Parts: sequence; C-alpha cells; structure tokens
Amino acid sequence: MAEVTFREANKRYRRAFVPVMVFYTVAVFGGSYLLKQFETPPMWLSAIVALIMAAPVGGVLWLMWRLARETDEFTRQQQMAAMAGGGLLTAFFSVVWGFLELYNVLPPLWTFLVGPIFFLSYGAIYCFGMKRGPGPGFDK
Amino acid sequence: MINTLRELRAERGWSQGDLADALGVSRQSINALETGKFDPSLPLAFRIARLFGKGIEDIFDDGLGHLKRAAE
Repeated sequence: MAEVTFREANKRYRRAFVPVMVFYTVAVFGGSYLLKQFETPPMWLSAIVALIMAAPVGGVLWLMWRLARETDEFTRQQQMAAMAGGGLLTAFFSVVWGFLELYNVLPPLWTFLVGPIFFLSYGAIYCFGMKRGPGPGFDK
Repeated sequence: MINTLRELRAERGWSQGDLADALGVSRQSINALETGKFDPSLPLAFRIARLFGKGIEDIFDDGLGHLKRAAE
C-alpha cells in the first residue's frame, strides 16, 4: 500500500475524479448525440458508445477503492463500511424490485440504475457513519 | 479505550488539525480518537506515542492495566 498522508490521498482522488467525470459527461451527451444521427444506429456503434459511457463509472469505482486503500485508517474503515453497506442495500433493493417486477407490480428497472443506487446508498451510509463512528464490529 | 490525547494536545496548544497534520491523518480521525469512537492501530499508536515522547501505555488505557500489575 502506498505511503501517502490523508491529505495527499484526497488530493490524488480529486485530481483524478474531475477529469473522469468530465469524460463521463462528454461521453453521455456526445454518445447520445452521435447515435441520434442515425435512424437505426449500427449495433457495433451502439455497443462502443455504451461501453465508452460505462468506462468512467468503472474509473470512479477504482478511484474510490484507491482512496480507501491510501487514506488514513479511520477514514478507510468508514469507506469500507459504506462500500459494503451500499453494496448490500443495492443488492437488497434489486432483489425486492426484481420480485415485484416478476409479478408485474413494478415496471422493469433499467439495469444501469443499479450504479446510481449504489453511489447514493454508499454516500448516505458514509455520511451517517462519519457522524456515528465505527460500529462495535470495528476495533472494539 | 480511554486515552489522554485531548489533554496532551491541549498542553501543547495544538488544534485537532495541527495534530492531524503531524500524524498525516484526517481531523475526523483525531476527533474519533479523542472521543473514544475509534481505537488506533498499533503503528498509529506508536506514531502518536513518539510524537508526544511518551509510551503507548502512558497515552492509551484499555482498562486492563490492573491485570498486568497483578501478574507482576
């Protein structure tokens, strides 16, 4: 694990996060605009545009992971707890939605919404955890 | 775990931010340590002890010190 201080780790995260999000914004708007130029866009082009749009999300997930590895131990605990909690909440939400969808109670959910649901859950749990401190399972 | 971090920091007139910078951690970490919400790892405890020129047991007390004394 790289030996960097909390401040340096945060700086490294922000320095990479901003260009990744700029790329994401350009990819989403640019990709949609490009596909609209075709009456029926070729499958290969649609696939490439979709993968280019998804790539920065993978980048953000990797940045979150790197930050969690590089930051100080207290923040790492909070980050890891938030990632785990966010993942569990997202899985539970998906299963509940899936069953409701199976019995035609709810319309089909766009799979790509799983990403934002994870990020929202992660963010909420992280903010809650910073106020509350680590639970009894952490170093107690 | 009980610790005397807040008192040691106050003796030196340092803010939580000053101590955080000296240790290379976040201010939130210092706050969590001082309020007993978080116990440091051994390497961080050593860094804290060295910074204040004290032993780890002079700063941190797990409440079981009497067992050690009894064993001696």
